Amino acid sequence: MKKIIALVFVLSGFSGQAQTTADSTDVSFKKRVLDATEVDFLMSYYKQDGIHSAVAGGNGMEKLTDITPTIVVAMPLNDDDVLTVDVGVSAYSSASSGNINPFDSKTPSPFQASSGASASDMWIGTTVGYSHSSDDRNTIWNAHVSGSVEYDYTSIGFGGGLTKLFNEKNTEVTVSGNVYLDTWKPIYPKELQDFSDNGNSTNGGIYNQFDIVDESGVSKSGYDPSRFTFWNDKKRNSYSLSVSVSQVINKKMQASIFLDVLQQNGLLSTPYQRVYFADADHFYINKFQLADDIERLPDTRFKVPIGARVNYYIDETFVLRTYYRFYTDDWGITAHTANIELPIKITDRFTVFPMYRYYTQQASKYFAPYQQHLSTERYYTSDYDLSSFNAHQYGFGVNYTDIFTGTKIWKFGVKNIDFRYNHYQRSDGLDADIFSIAIKFIRQ
Amino acid sequence: MKKLLIAGGIFFTLLSCSSVKEYEKEKINDVDMKLSARTSERFETNFQVYREAASGANGGKTGGGCGCN
Repeated sequence: MKKIIALVFVLSGFSGQAQTTADSTDVSFKKRVLDATEVDFLMSYYKQDGIHSAVAGGNGMEKLTDITPTIVVAMPLNDDDVLTVDVGVSAYSSASSGNINPFDSKTPSPFQASSGASASDMWIGTTVGYSHSSDDRNTIWNAHVSGSVEYDYTSIGFGGGLTKLFNEKNTEVTVSGNVYLDTWKPIYPKELQDFSDNGNSTNGGIYNQFDIVDESGVSKSGYDPSRFTFWNDKKRNSYSLSVSVSQVINKKMQASIFLDVLQQNGLLSTPYQRVYFADADHFYINKFQLADDIERLPDTRFKVPIGARVNYYIDETFVLRTYYRFYTDDWGITAHTANIELPIKITDRFTVFPMYRYYTQQASKYFAPYQQHLSTERYYTSDYDLSSFNAHQYGFGVNYTDIFTGTKIWKFGVKNIDFRYNHYQRSDGLDADIFSIAIKFIRQ
Repeated sequence: MKKLLIAGGIFFTLLSCSSVKEYEKEKINDVDMKLSARTSERFETNFQVYREAASGANGGKTGGGCGCN
């Protein structure tokens, strides 16, 4: 974190130098795209719980907490160009992923948190973006590169876009593309890993420490998950194309529509998510059921989401913000999302905004609940994120804005503080809460 | 899907006839009128990408870059 803060100040200094250079040579009179360096400090705390852990084949606790400190620095390089650096960390602990290996406990159970290595992890990601605006500010192009790493997953990405404004800046069209080249370092359920490591047998590994039993705790032999094989293809590539159109409708209303198409190839399954078959014998160690196989999903997926926003300025106190999205893909999922937010200006500096979001989806054709798949199927998952459900999310936010940046820390003035809290409730029993804060500083 | 696209196309074609002058955009330029998600909203979008099968069409990414759905 200290390194990140140091980086922010170094970059801020660089930006200051760039501004000086630009100012000394600029002879035209056009408004800068970004007046001064802006630094956003963001942080969120997220916690969830549920009973359908995908790691335990759709039957187990889903406790998870996540903290995400993030810094975004936007620097004007000259009148027209802006460089943006985004660095974020996501540190989480998860009872569910801890059960990739539940056997570090003497009494393994899908409803008990494991203290194993996979119970916590850290994601670190960064994006560097560059944008250039034309002299008349009617054409903007941008490009970015990104990278992220966590224990079992790495990603590099790049992309770019072009925005054109016309009709006296009442209409805006953006076309952009993104590519992510990701790689798994797969980790597998411990019982399957040990079974395979010992030549498809239960002689070695955890099987030397525990007895295999049936549901009632009586010793049982014959555990043979020979359907399990390691994934050979560890790549996951994603290619997306996005088009958006924004339109000022009148003095108080504007709207936009978004269309994305995305093609993914490669390892689209999560390698540590267990599946239990209805037509197979069931084996346990203590109360933890041993996997029959891992999730198997197709190696291609094509997604098409289309969304729209309409914002309406009611009066000096109220603004109405709405959003709707329709989503479909070739795994059989369709989904609808509707969001409404009502910012209320309490004073010239404080705004509160209650919000509500409704989401509903139709299950993937590859999903079946815990222990309902058949071993004869080609594709299967018991990940309830791909099941049919609806979800309600409701909460509020508080925004403080001081356009004069009266409060200062070193060379930076506080322009804006945004806090929000939301509760999320899914019809399959998953509950979550998320707190977020964003503070925007402007270099003086 | 086709109907949605056609409806959207017609909608914006008709709307593009209107023109609000820059000096008339005081209300349009209000910070709460921005046609994008708030900065602090990114974390909610992020967890939704993990917990829901749908993603995209919100100015953010549609897939890739994480081990999520």
